[in-house]
Amino acid sequence: MKIMNCPLNGPRNISEFAYGGEVKPTPDAQAPTQEWADYVYYHANQPGILREWWLHVPTSYWFIAERDVTTDRIIATFKPEEVLR
Amino acid sequence: MQPRRQSFIAVPTDPCSGSLPALAMADFSLRPRLGFKGAGTADWLAAQGLSLPPEPNQSVKDDQGRLIARLSWGEFLLLGDFAALQSAWSFETAPLCFPLPRLHSHAWIVISGDAAPKMMAKICGVDLRAHKFAQGRIAQTSVARLNAIVIADRIRGRLGFHLLSDISTSQYLWDCLCDAMLEFDGAPVVLEALAKESHGQTDAQG
Amino acid sequence: MTRLPAPWGKWIDRTKSLSFWFEGKSYPAHQGDTVASALLANGQSLIGRSFKYHRPRGSYSAAGWDANALVQAGSKPNLSADRLAVQDHLQVKALNYFGCLNRDWGRLVEKASRLLPAGFYYKTFFTPRIAWKFWEPVIRHMAGLGRVDLQAAHAYYDKEYLFADVAVIGAGPAGLAAALEAAKAGAEVMLIDEDQQIGGSLNWARGGDGEPMAKLAGWPRISLLEQASVQALFDDNWLEIVKGNRLYKLRAKSVVVATGCYQMPLVFRHNDLPGVMLGSAVQRLMRLWGVVPGRRAVVAAANEDGYAAALDLMDAGVQVEAIADLRAHRDAGPFAIEAGQRGLRILQGVTPYEAHENNNRLAGVSLAQIMGEGRCGPVFERIDCDLLAVCVGRIPATGLLSHAGAKFAHQAHMDLPTELPAHVFAAGSVNGCLSLDAAQKDGKRAGALAAKSAGFEAETPPAPLRDCEGVTHPWPIFAHPAGMEFVDLDEDVQIKDIVASMQDGYDHIQLLKRYSTSGMGPSQGKLFWPHVKRLMAKEKGVTPAEIGASTIRPPMGGETLGHLAGRGFEPVRLTAMHRRHLELGGVMMPAGAWMRPAYYGQDKNAIEKEVRAVREGVGLIDVSTLGGLDVRGPDAAAFLERLYTWTYAKLAVGRARYVLMCDQTGVVIDDGVAARLHDQHFYVTATTSGVDRVFRLMQWHNAQWRMNVDIAQVTSAYAAVNLAGPKAREVLAKAGTSVDISKEALPYLGVREGMVAGIQARILRIGFVGELGYEIHVPAQYGEALWDALMTAGQDFGIKPFGVEAQRILRLEKGHIIIGQDSDALTHPFEIGMDWAVKMDKPFFMGQAALRAHLEKAPTRKLVGFELENDQGPLPKECHLAIEDGEIAGRVTSVARSPALGRVIGLAFVPPGKAQAGSRFQIRVDGGSMVGARVTPVPFYDPKNQRQEM
Repeated sequence: MKIMNCPLNGPRNISEFAYGGEVKPTPDAQAPTQEWADYVYYHANQPGILREWWLHVPTSYWFIAERDVTTDRIIATFKPEEVLR
Repeated sequence: MQPRRQSFIAVPTDPCSGSLPALAMADFSLRPRLGFKGAGTADWLAAQGLSLPPEPNQSVKDDQGRLIARLSWGEFLLLGDFAALQSAWSFETAPLCFPLPRLHSHAWIVISGDAAPKMMAKICGVDLRAHKFAQGRIAQTSVARLNAIVIADRIRGRLGFHLLSDISTSQYLWDCLCDAMLEFDGAPVVLEALAKESHGQTDAQG
Repeated sequence: MTRLPAPWGKWIDRTKSLSFWFEGKSYPAHQGDTVASALLANGQSLIGRSFKYHRPRGSYSAAGWDANALVQAGSKPNLSADRLAVQDHLQVKALNYFGCLNRDWGRLVEKASRLLPAGFYYKTFFTPRIAWKFWEPVIRHMAGLGRVDLQAAHAYYDKEYLFADVAVIGAGPAGLAAALEAAKAGAEVMLIDEDQQIGGSLNWARGGDGEPMAKLAGWPRISLLEQASVQALFDDNWLEIVKGNRLYKLRAKSVVVATGCYQMPLVFRHNDLPGVMLGSAVQRLMRLWGVVPGRRAVVAAANEDGYAAALDLMDAGVQVEAIADLRAHRDAGPFAIEAGQRGLRILQGVTPYEAHENNNRLAGVSLAQIMGEGRCGPVFERIDCDLLAVCVGRIPATGLLSHAGAKFAHQAHMDLPTELPAHVFAAGSVNGCLSLDAAQKDGKRAGALAAKSAGFEAETPPAPLRDCEGVTHPWPIFAHPAGMEFVDLDEDVQIKDIVASMQDGYDHIQLLKRYSTSGMGPSQGKLFWPHVKRLMAKEKGVTPAEIGASTIRPPMGGETLGHLAGRGFEPVRLTAMHRRHLELGGVMMPAGAWMRPAYYGQDKNAIEKEVRAVREGVGLIDVSTLGGLDVRGPDAAAFLERLYTWTYAKLAVGRARYVLMCDQTGVVIDDGVAARLHDQHFYVTATTSGVDRVFRLMQWHNAQWRMNVDIAQVTSAYAAVNLAGPKAREVLAKAGTSVDISKEALPYLGVREGMVAGIQARILRIGFVGELGYEIHVPAQYGEALWDALMTAGQDFGIKPFGVEAQRILRLEKGHIIIGQDSDALTHPFEIGMDWAVKMDKPFFMGQAALRAHLEKAPTRKLVGFELENDQGPLPKECHLAIEDGEIAGRVTSVARSPALGRVIGLAFVPPGKAQAGSRFQIRVDGGSMVGARVTPVPFYDPKNQRQEM
């Protein structure tokens, strides 16, 4: 079982976490439908290092993790406000 | 007539009222507790004269033996009688600070006995041994597949934990604990058996 | 029962005698015996029958490395007699024989072995396909392992988490040295060993030193987990360990793998007979249990191990007839020199070429000169013997390293680790350091490195040189024209089977494994894969290194379902009124993790009676499972505006409004009610199953938006009931409330906070059932008191508790939809008539962009109410299809017989063209017949909604 370091709770078994998808900017409310469709449906699924949303389930705490999706190595984790300024 | 408040846990009527078993557990669910949450919470609680733990997942005891647990940067769990805070609070007086109904959302189970960490290791994946999880430390984690708050505390002079978990599953959790503690000669006890030194205040209505 | 005198037999307690049963016969044993050691002590070398040919088999490794000695103990199948401890009165049976173990008529299969080629199942039984139906049970019966006892009582299994700085796997010389070194550096060490007692080869090898346990004295930082098997080494040093009926999950900061070596089998004709054993097995049997497995022995050697075994046999008084050394010349090792000095007959360049059987065990071996790789000259001598000890090489036990992702290289005819993941270290013979001295030095090195890796300061001693050259024979495989040279004892795979598989085209290691079944047996080929690789390499004309290592996956050994299941944790959520439901005869049903009453009592009309009570008098339902969220703060209204489709900014304090949530694709995901209790406070309800998702979504969005709002999940904190029916107001008044509940003061969709029966409550004038109703939410610990107060107050009004089933009918009569039942994973609000709850002209809400796109397209379906044209025929069920011109046109989502209307009503998706009231469509019901339905406006009952607003 992998370990993930939660910015609030410290290192925990990965079973305490839920995946929340890639971090990506939300389109403007009035953006064209195509832009929204890309946001909602299109996932690049590229190998390499991604920023992802993760949830620590027991505390309902959302944070951001940097993960190499090729090797499944978790590189670093951040409070959301450290990334989304 | 005062309406009757009822724990969700059915405790045996005479749970081991003699000397304290090697590992003892009591249902504290009817004892007072309270929570506050929100970006303005730390400021408001400090303004009310509480000394707060500096970091999340730490707890401190105040001079009345009440336990102040910091669950995150802006969330606090207060074990003991904090009725004064409750009446001082309003949307207007406590900006961005919101009370949480912890008395009713969570059951409160207290465990005492030096085998407590070993027993918890059967149902919890966090290392709770005393030298790794000192008194006052908090783990918000999974216990017997439930979300739970575990707080290390010395109870009746022995290693122990406060365990707070969703009230709707508290009977299930109680049963799991009864099962897990059997091999350590553990048993449920009446609340008073563990309340003596851990929390001096009188039993209060929520 | 004959035993060697002490100090042989160090694991048995000769003062304690036991007896057990094998195949219906009683055998004496000592405390500390395994079933295999005790049977051999009693001269019983035949323990079971082989998987395919039913050949006689006995203990081969005395360590459970193979499936040769699998037995059934009571209701537990497939246990290795090598490791199964004797208990008094234990009932043991052999596996896989017909008739009796000594005369198994299943062995006739062997005579037909020519007809059982590799890939036998593939070739023979799959065409015609129907044939498999006939052959499968026959084959399953013939090729069996133990029997599962379906009547066996469930044993108690559980799990435990363990923690350590350094985990050391294997307490042999290297593991012990590693554990001590890591502990010296200050690390907390967990030392895990699978044997009866720690020490590994120190216990049984010639030259091992006596008291392994003494080394650990005075080291409290070392915890010992004995008789425990490490089944897997997973990511981030997570170990799965089985001991007794408990599964341990150990998390360490670093791991030392000191799992040692297996000994390599020798492949020749009849190499599987009881009496042919690994040399280490012979040494274990003698030193650990005081058992000599024969009287006249031949040793097949290719290294010093063979000479050590021969000397041990001589010391134990066994007649060693000869050592057949496969090598042309032997090294001048100390054991070889001693053997020569003691006058042993040593034959160089010679191998056993065939073993001879008498009465189900070894009676002699024929020896032949080795002429080249796998080639022999004519048999020059037959030696009568009842024991052949095989010492032709080592196989590093790299399984756990493989789990961790280590890389290996072929060196000295063995696969040795070259690249290890961070925090994992190999030590001792698994790392190619075979001699006692080298293993201990390597253990020290690995222990120091592991402590360092776990954050302790330690000086790292230099790595000893690997001393593994010349230990493993490159080709201990000798084909015989008549076959029966077993490469894989588990699966009865012969040399020709491997060769034939390759010739059939299965020349990749993974394909060959499945086709030949080699490595598919209970021991997963631990002892046999190196030979399979050699044979593959030769057939392909490459080196074994080029074949590559096969990936060894968890678990290392057999695992019971009990271990995986453990204690079984299935949380059950109960409401505050649970006890009352049971007292009232509630028939409970699961709703997610919750238990809810479906209906009350045994009456077959119970549901209909509950429905009538609500329509005509008053009913009470426990709705505590409804999700509850407190959304508070200056931005609370603005936050809800962004999440839900309707508008809440102008909702007055003291009023409630429907909420509908879509995801970003515009699909409806949840609904409920938002009650404004304060300018800054909304109490939002959500569906029982949806609230966790809604809460997560809210938290996630606010992690990005960072509005001045706080969201709290308060589902469990409130017990709630719906008091519904024309007499609800009277009951509530009688129960006593501080709130003015008159129609004028608290109209439909009004919300008040106040006292009910002395309890602080949130009163919401809403309802799902279309009658005058109050949803009353109180702090959970007062739920039972509230229930009691209302039931008592309602007595004079004929109050009746009602369950989920009655509620479903009541809401269907009103045409209310249930998200998830009347909607699916593609349903948007316009398909289900929710247009009124969607304010498209808001600046933003979740799903708005997608709904805009939906509005630009023609709708494809509509949810409509329907009535059956004929109530007396077969009734449709949920998910029955609407059929139009033989094509699927829609489906039924809800259907029930309405007590209020006396008709069958339902909701269904139909094409837009069929959605007008009065349109007809066909539904295909069970059995395929079609029933007619007519689209009907909803609500079916009280179409003007007057009753809920009374």
